[in-house]
Amino acid sequence: MRIVVCIKEVLDPDAVNAYALAGRLEIGDDDKTLTQTTIPRLMNGFDEQAIEAALRMRDAGTDATICVVSVGSDLTVPLRHAMALGADEVVAIEPPSSTGDYHTVAALLAAYIRSHGGADLVLCGRQASDDDQGVVPALIGESLGMPVVAIARDVEAAGSAEAPAVRVTRVTPDGDEIVEATCPAVVTISNELGEPRYPTMPMKMAARRVKPTDVSATDLSLDPQALEPRVVMTRQFVPTVKGDCEFISGDEPADVADRLVRRLLEDNIVRGRSPR
Amino acid sequence: MTDPVVVCTWSAVRDQPWEETEAALTLGRTVSGACGAELHWLVVGPSLDEGPEIAGRHGVARVDRIDDPKLEDGRPDAFVEALAQYCASHPCRLLLFNQNFATRLVAPRVAGRLGVGVVMNGTDIEVDGDRLDVTAAAYGGDTRVVYGLEGPGPCVVALLANAVAPEPTEDAGTAPAATELEVDLSGVEERIRVLEAAHTEGPRLEDAEIIVSGGRGLGSPENFKLIEELADVLGGMAGASRPLVDEGWIDSSRQVGLTGKITRPALYLAAGISGATQHMVGCSAAKTIVAINTDPDAAIFRHARYGIVGDCTELLPELIRAASEAGDS
Repeated sequence: MRIVVCIKEVLDPDAVNAYALAGRLEIGDDDKTLTQTTIPRLMNGFDEQAIEAALRMRDAGTDATICVVSVGSDLTVPLRHAMALGADEVVAIEPPSSTGDYHTVAALLAAYIRSHGGADLVLCGRQASDDDQGVVPALIGESLGMPVVAIARDVEAAGSAEAPAVRVTRVTPDGDEIVEATCPAVVTISNELGEPRYPTMPMKMAARRVKPTDVSATDLSLDPQALEPRVVMTRQFVPTVKGDCEFISGDEPADVADRLVRRLLEDNIVRGRSPR
Repeated sequence: MTDPVVVCTWSAVRDQPWEETEAALTLGRTVSGACGAELHWLVVGPSLDEGPEIAGRHGVARVDRIDDPKLEDGRPDAFVEALAQYCASHPCRLLLFNQNFATRLVAPRVAGRLGVGVVMNGTDIEVDGDRLDVTAAAYGGDTRVVYGLEGPGPCVVALLANAVAPEPTEDAGTAPAATELEVDLSGVEERIRVLEAAHTEGPRLEDAEIIVSGGRGLGSPENFKLIEELADVLGGMAGASRPLVDEGWIDSSRQVGLTGKITRPALYLAAGISGATQHMVGCSAAKTIVAINTDPDAAIFRHARYGIVGDCTELLPELIRAASEAGDS
């Protein structure tokens, strides 16, 4: 089984959140880019869990090659991390220009998969924690004519060698749902999959020498129209939050608790239990 | 005549409260007004009793309905095919969905099928000539990004819950009768087979009137029982922030936030939750938020009506006592 995992490098969302909560998130003169160089770049967390899902399938005995692919420039660090985790091959796709959107990214990833060995299973994180859009997996699925199983906590191989399939546990608002899809299929991984592993030191050392396979848009013989962005980011800003919090204090936790409960009763937000 | 703005709802989706449909119709009406287009409502699946009244309240010029046995159980392939056929015969400027578990997948698939632009997590749309400027939440809600979308073809947008307040028109009109449309779904074979359907046991967080939620400030998994106990005394349900789910302290069905449940209770009591933006997405529609946190600068206090600076593990037992006494008096 050939598994292609699509990953994205993002700004550390926790660092972005910390700056935002402190009211110090800076947006550059272009009105779009978060400029603080102290915010580290790292592999999108859901994508790291998508790699973990692939590794767990291989650990469970599935005969799988794992190819990790990403679109962008300067991707050696996250792709070496993927290699250290256990990927068999890592691929960097250079986009034709910086003006692309996620339609461009999806078109490039789909074209790569179509022209470079195909895939029995495409794994993606459920969304990237920078733009939170989560549309690339769906666009890849449409482009390649594959079903898309969204928001999974577990993926295992099913079916047979001749007719491979995957059994997927999805996290739905009504609880877990177990589905089966015939391969090839796209599956998106959610945080409920659990913690991804850490690379071992020998794997890390070995990955230091790995050079990702570079693929350019021209290698993929794509119709330029397919790479045209449909969606153009024009601006990014930090929304303001109003605050009108009334703080309740007291000498002891018991006093504070009594005061709060009294306020909630007065406001009719909670009701006393009906008299027995 | 400019192509219409179409709000699309899918009756098979359970998590679609009427406020959300009305929010989408409100935004759809603003956009259609700004670009001189009609507002249409596409109902996929069985029609709903409340539909005509709501359509009348929001100035909907036309209601279209697509129904087919294959659309009734919420499976995606039939839906995407139905929408592709609809858009082929009904050109529209904007195809607007409420964002929920189902549309998170099918909205971008419809866009992919049609080869048009899509924006999820939408919070607002403005018309600028031929371009629609769609504002969307990014970085878990820490920032907003404005995306410009131009035709040809419809722009597909999913509206984030609680982003737009529903506002009926002042002069409620008569709702047009729904036009039944035919789609041919005979060629659709769902490629995903459900082996075990999801089933919730007991009440759902989305429906709770009172939610008591715990976060990292609880310190240890054992302390989550304080959250459950207070929820119980108040007649509500227990929720949690994402770190507790990631650490395995609590089941993901309790997770409130962008990647969890979007809730709208009367009271949301957050104990030991810092108020990371992605969490607030799931509870900011609460009528009253009460926050307990040791850090007086915690972001949660910016959203809260009442705040207590203190250790929630000390306060929760006292709140359980005080709330029980209030009930007994």
